[in-house]
Amino acid sequence: MSSRTLPAPSAPVSPDGRERPLVALDDVSVAFQTRTGLFRMGEVRAVNGVSLAIARAETLGLVGESGSGKTTVGRVSLRLIEPASGRVFFDGIDITKTPEHDLGWLRKRAQIVFQDPFSSLNPYMRVIDLVEEPLVIDGVHGKAERWDRARRALEDVDLVPAGRWATRYPTAMSGGQRQRVGIARALVRDPDYIVADEPVSMIDASSRIEILQLLRGLQTGRGVAFLYITHDIASARHFADRIAVMYQGSLVEVGASGQVIDQPLHPYTRSLIAAVPEPDPANRFRRRAVGGVAQAAGEIVHPDCPHGPDRANEPALLLPFTSDPAHLVACHVEAPHGR
Amino acid sequence: MARGGQTRMPLLEVRDLHLDYQAGDRVVHAVDGVSFTIARRGEALGIVGESGSGKSSLANALIRLLPKNAIRYDGAILLDGRDLMALSDEAFRREIRWRRMAMVFQGAMNVLNPVLKIGDQIAEPMLLDERLNKRQARAKVESLLERVGLGREFYGRYPHELSGGQKQRVVIATALALDPDLLILDEPTSALDVSVQAQIMNLLKDLKADPGISMIFITHDIGLASDLCDEIAVAYAGEFVETGPADRILVAPRHPYTALLLASLPRLHGDRPPSPMPGEPPDPTHLPEGCRFHPRCPWRFAPCLRHPPEIPVEGGGFARCWLNDPAVAGDRFGAPLLVAAATP
Ligand SMILES: Nc1ncnc2c1ncn2[C@@H]1O[C@H](COP(=O)(O)OP(=O)(O)O)[C@@H](O)[C@H]1O
Ligand SMILES: Nc1ncnc2c1ncn2[C@@H]1O[C@H](COP(=O)(O)OP(=O)(O)O)[C@@H](O)[C@H]1O
Ligand code: SF4
Ligand SMILES: [Mg+2]
Ligand SMILES: [Mg+2]
Repeated sequence: MSSRTLPAPSAPVSPDGRERPLVALDDVSVAFQTRTGLFRMGEVRAVNGVSLAIARAETLGLVGESGSGKTTVGRVSLRLIEPASGRVFFDGIDITKTPEHDLGWLRKRAQIVFQDPFSSLNPYMRVIDLVEEPLVIDGVHGKAERWDRARRALEDVDLVPAGRWATRYPTAMSGGQRQRVGIARALVRDPDYIVADEPVSMIDASSRIEILQLLRGLQTGRGVAFLYITHDIASARHFADRIAVMYQGSLVEVGASGQVIDQPLHPYTRSLIAAVPEPDPANRFRRRAVGGVAQAAGEIVHPDCPHGPDRANEPALLLPFTSDPAHLVACHVEAPHGR
Repeated sequence: MARGGQTRMPLLEVRDLHLDYQAGDRVVHAVDGVSFTIARRGEALGIVGESGSGKSSLANALIRLLPKNAIRYDGAILLDGRDLMALSDEAFRREIRWRRMAMVFQGAMNVLNPVLKIGDQIAEPMLLDERLNKRQARAKVESLLERVGLGREFYGRYPHELSGGQKQRVVIATALALDPDLLILDEPTSALDVSVQAQIMNLLKDLKADPGISMIFITHDIGLASDLCDEIAVAYAGEFVETGPADRILVAPRHPYTALLLASLPRLHGDRPPSPMPGEPPDPTHLPEGCRFHPRCPWRFAPCLRHPPEIPVEGGGFARCWLNDPAVAGDRFGAPLLVAAATP
């Protein structure tokens, strides 16, 4: 099957074309082997022809429902998994096939913050042990240097005074505080790029903002680039510069956050927006038309699409539909420019 | 108490409900004098608050499933005017739990029995109830599976074959097995993504309209509560700090905590950034004196060192905040609670 693809640039460029992006995926597909029966193996195409670029100090929001391939995109961008096809670049270096033992430098410059601060932290380790652990792994032997860097990381996530937080256990902390520890663990290596995979979805709605603001501060203050993975497109509006919408392994829309939400072009983007329960009296009690994995791809077609649903299973191109060249939407047939 | 006509009698009336736990040598007042009513069939009350505010404890108190360390459990719970507190545990189990009031427990979708067909799991309460034989129970389960949008072919499947949203539908079907009048849902969508959450909310809206099941919907997301609920109650440190019609609460919150909850939600439209909730929840064994919210409250003033009562507010409901008492608030009275925009 041919993949859905951007007209692939031979050397990836950032959206404005000015600067080499920090992270770039070029027509990347990822497949997993799965057991479909007792002896039969099948293949799941988790990611299908995804191209994206993240500039230095930029936050790209990657949104979509669960199972759409967001985590897999995050992991392939860190080269925690190898793509089946396509290329992965970090700071201009092709890391598509680099063996793990040659990726030590990447393991320092690129980090991940997990969804679940509860299960990703060892409850028997103190905060200080958790935050220093990456340094121990990196062979930073000096106790003073380790503490110095851990203290700075704790201060950067507002766990101050660091000395007092250092000896606490995550079990005695709130969800938001635990996630701060998770972020400090990522920060202690001074990364340029962090994949934040649903960093607030397990946290109370009212406690999410302080964590997202913290990440935003690291982006603007320290110049860290983020892939912010979420199923909540409303939070991406405020905490991502651009939004990429993922559906069944492919990107269906990419653009500036405000643009994508105020003028969504793809029907699936619209359904993600419609699913947000905004606290607005005019928005209550509505039945929400929700796209889902159960929905046939043929239904994910814009009502104005001149080609109708019958070609929806063909490969799509991500192309500009409006006068904004950075606002791209998947089209199965063609891109009527300047519409 | 309203006697007489069915129309006047609320479905559920709760007065001054208390549930305390013994925690080491200290006491947690998990439900601390909560009162509310659900007036009619098909009405939904949303209970909103952050983790630890006592939402699950309240649900458990209503359905009388108490942990061993519960040391105080009192107040009035009237269902169709009948005082449930007067019932023995045996009578409550036989007549009320699951038959009149059913519950979808927090995290229940993760504890479905992995080796039992889902149809048999849904049938279990019916067979225990002994009013239906096996064949009748099977027919009932099939109709419930259809009612929750799964289809009867799901009867023979096992939990591992289901997605998260499908499992939650099974849990809801199980709660509906004995045709309850009131369904208590404790964070039923917290583990689901926004799209699947919207599908479950659609189902709840359907069940609310037909057959007109009343609901108590517990969540930490006030936006989500407003999507389904007619009335909202905001819980903080074991108390309700504000109640009222959702339409009023969304546009004119009268308790600072409610205003801050609303301001903390990222809005789809407009560029006003959400504002973080200040401070941390209180230690349940050392609650602040006076207004329990005062250490975190940007509006606090001298009177807040006294514990505020439930003060009725314009537009319906009450707020447990001195700003709503003209005699105490002075010229602060009636000013809209505007949350300062966060610096991005
Ligand atoms: N290690 C794996 N083995 C097999 N299938 C996987 C694996 N990881 C993910 N998948 C499948 O790939 C698809 C995308 O998953 P994922 O990237 O986790 O999506 P998301 O993060 O958007 O929920 C899903 O169908 C998932 O079941
Ligand atoms: N069995 C118990 N023993 C002691 N304390 C408890 C018990 N269950 C809950 N608590 C405490 O009671 C308070 C309310 O908890 P809970 O009802 O679970 O709140 P919520 O559902 O709003 O998160 C919290 O402080 C919690 O730690
Ligand atoms: S009583 Fe005082 S401290 Fe409490 S919410 Fe009202 S203004 Fe704030
Ligand atoms: Mg994921
Ligand atoms: Mg709870």
